[in-house]
Amino acid sequence: MDPILTEYLNSVDRYLKPLPACERADIIKEIQSEMLELSGAQNLSSSQILERLGEPKALAQAYLGDAITATERFSWKKCRALIAFYSLAGFGGLFVLPFLSVLSITLMVTAVIAPLAGLTKFAGAVLGFETPYVVLQIGSYSPSPIAALPISLIMGLLLFLAGKGMWNAMLQYIHFVGKTHKTIV
Amino acid sequence: MDIEEWKSQIKRGTLEFCILQMIDGQSLYGYEIISRLEVWPILAARESTIYPLLRRLLKEGFLSSYWQETTEGLPPRKYYTITEHGRAYLKAMSCEWENLLAAVSAVKDTPCGRTKGEMIDGSDTD
Repeated sequence: MDPILTEYLNSVDRYLKPLPACERADIIKEIQSEMLELSGAQNLSSSQILERLGEPKALAQAYLGDAITATERFSWKKCRALIAFYSLAGFGGLFVLPFLSVLSITLMVTAVIAPLAGLTKFAGAVLGFETPYVVLQIGSYSPSPIAALPISLIMGLLLFLAGKGMWNAMLQYIHFVGKTHKTIV
Repeated sequence: MDIEEWKSQIKRGTLEFCILQMIDGQSLYGYEIISRLEVWPILAARESTIYPLLRRLLKEGFLSSYWQETTEGLPPRKYYTITEHGRAYLKAMSCEWENLLAAVSAVKDTPCGRTKGEMIDGSDTD
């Protein structure tokens, strides 16, 4: 194919950027098909073909149609909505997301450590070695080393559930922000 | 009043009707539609009009399309066919088109618009 025609197609493709890639590829393929039709069966020269198709920008804009003109138009309402959105999303990025993610991961880690500690205390009591470095204390109540195992297992489970909950909350928050962004833009 | 502007306004809705009618009989590819319309100057339209229009009709489900490889070194062509939905739409359009023609000729034949009650009502739907 004539490089001028290829350049034309590349140019149209660039202007079609707002569209999904597969749709763009289909549009370009169809225009290319007509180019080949015109040069082959109709015997038109490359410049005649380009004249017929018109400016690449105009052709691309015809495809983009009302969709782009509607969203590109400036409106105060949209502007305010965007400012509000990015303020909230920025706040989320600064505070909510780090808080939720760090808390979630910390809870998960402690959910593993607690049963291990309980197991150590239990093993110490059964096998008869001292474990002063492991202390299980809930408020003023300190359970016996034997009871430490089931209690720490339950605590581990609770910590795990709390961590998982935080993680899900974070995912939901991200999903919500993404969806809100889509409705505004 | 610019007659060209009026013509392009008329064309906007009419092209959709014409294209659906052309495709109703047989599968056609884009350039074929464009070159067939070129026979009538009032309907002749550029690529930048026809291709986006075809794409819109596809999105609305009135048409479906498929790519077909051709023989003898010709490029693959994207053929358009009408769907059941498109056929129903075309039928409704034909009906409204007849309404419009009847109404326009009735308006022309009605002197000074005094006989309001006798006029043909072409806007029973929508």
